[in-house]
Amino acid sequence: MAGLLLRRAGFSVLSLLLVSACLFMLTRAIPDSPAWIVLGQDATEKQVMQFEHDHGLDRPVAVQYASWLSGVVLRGDLGRSFITGRDVTGEISKTLPVTLELVVVAFAFACVLSLAAGTAAALARDTIVDYGVRLVAVLGVSVPGFWLALILIMAFAVDREWFPPGGFVPLSGGLAEHIDSIVLPTFCLGIFYMAVLSRMTRSSLLDVLGQDYMRTARATGLAHWRVLIYALRNALVPVVTIAGMSFGYMFGWALIIEAVFNINGLSRALLTAIQQRDFALVQGVVMIFTFVFILANLAADITNAWLNPRMLAASA
Amino acid sequence: MIRGVIAACGGPGGFVGACLMVLLIGDALGAPWIAPFDPLNVDMLNALSPPDATHLFGTDQSGRDVLSRVIWGGRASLEVSVVAVVIGSCGGVALGLIAGFFSGGWFEQFLMRTLDAMASIPLLIWAVALVGILGVGPVHIAGFTFGNEVKLLALLGLLYIPTLARITYTTALGEAGANYVAARRLQGVSVPRIMLSDVLPNCLSPVIVQATLLLAIGIVIEASVSFVGLGVQPPQPSWGNMLADARNYLFSGEWWLSVFPGACISLSVVAINLLGDGLRDALDPRHSTSALTA
Repeated sequence: MAGLLLRRAGFSVLSLLLVSACLFMLTRAIPDSPAWIVLGQDATEKQVMQFEHDHGLDRPVAVQYASWLSGVVLRGDLGRSFITGRDVTGEISKTLPVTLELVVVAFAFACVLSLAAGTAAALARDTIVDYGVRLVAVLGVSVPGFWLALILIMAFAVDREWFPPGGFVPLSGGLAEHIDSIVLPTFCLGIFYMAVLSRMTRSSLLDVLGQDYMRTARATGLAHWRVLIYALRNALVPVVTIAGMSFGYMFGWALIIEAVFNINGLSRALLTAIQQRDFALVQGVVMIFTFVFILANLAADITNAWLNPRMLAASA
Repeated sequence: MIRGVIAACGGPGGFVGACLMVLLIGDALGAPWIAPFDPLNVDMLNALSPPDATHLFGTDQSGRDVLSRVIWGGRASLEVSVVAVVIGSCGGVALGLIAGFFSGGWFEQFLMRTLDAMASIPLLIWAVALVGILGVGPVHIAGFTFGNEVKLLALLGLLYIPTLARITYTTALGEAGANYVAARRLQGVSVPRIMLSDVLPNCLSPVIVQATLLLAIGIVIEASVSFVGLGVQPPQPSWGNMLADARNYLFSGEWWLSVFPGACISLSVVAINLLGDGLRDALDPRHSTSALTA
């Protein structure tokens, strides 16, 4: 068990290194040096060289990468922006909590609802419940979150003023206001994954319920709910894998949703950084997202190992 | 005849999907002839007029015909998603075939681990960030000028490769050890020839199903990236940047600006998913559950 997880974790670290090296190389391969952006187009050659020397940009890319990497690993320091001169880690830690809260709430909502809906649909196959769940699943996958957001703002924030049309009220601004401000964004963010996961739960549970060992379990006189627990443990393995990936992907969609709702999360930081051509910050944000993505996949592997220990024996 | 077509699409659902797809592709190819107005033609006197007999979908803030812009926008969306899937399929199938055929060597290990690393990249964030780093603007390649969306489609194609390569690899690995391959070898047929004319056709079914689903994801990603201003650049219409414009008119009640482009995105995704599900039933019945998220 520990060996397998260690190997997975080792591979995750390797992926992260590879991906960060590619990203770093790419930001350095851009022809216009940050010096031109900061000093303006009519800076002299000498000023540019001085700037590049001061910020270590005249060193070979591999050396720059090594020093950046050691900063990340040893001090959790993602570097310093060449444009604003501010600390990237500080910039990110200001906005990350907002995005993280949206994603975690949306993820919890998607998981709980899809598990319930998927199980209900599988147990009540070909009834009105099943058709309902399947219809919601098809709609949820097809309607892009940011369009849904626009429609919901028109319906529930402009026509009926149930929710604020945008913005993010921190918890210090009152609990009710805080919850009101995140209802629409988290719904728009979560509904797609709720659809995907409920569809998977349904079909995977149907597969398992059709197996011979399920009939045997029922024939031995086990209580109905106990059989269902066994079935779910087996059926959830593929669902957990996809859920793990979904958690990482949600951060990507959170960018778009935050843009629609004018929420000052990581997306604002990323889009502003892109406009200012502040590559140190862009790189930092992307690395954080990739890290979360890999971590979520690892967490899914661990959950699966706990749900179904046979998987360890098979892959060890 | 019609029954055969329906069966080929994997049932009525797949058939409806296929019909909608034909409509969508026809609309994209025939945009110059179908669109009633020039999508870029500004007419400030008629700005923001609601849907009526002349402008079926109304006009936008510059008086441009929304219907024509939706038709031309479909062209942009489809262009990005189709080309990305073609790039991803060619690259993915080639790499997957080679890795499956020469399994057990260092090449297979190297390739599969690299693809695993690439698969640990969240698509949308990287698309946004990389287009951001490269900078928004037209691309000049060998004397031709392409729009900004070329970066997006190249990037998406590249990021699709791992998914499709892994699927091809799994099937190719099984096929490479089959007796018919050994027989062809004994006949003296060259390895590349066996790969292309004998093994490849047997590996394509799951690839086609997955490619269909990636097509739907491509449409949504194109719209999202254009929505934040990094995809198709105005004044060229795309469903995503039309919705970005519509965002400024949520409070004044111009509903037609946001409803129509978004409905087109949803309809395309429904069509492609129906077709994908149908194709899976027809081509690849062994894999009953497939889920692809982004």
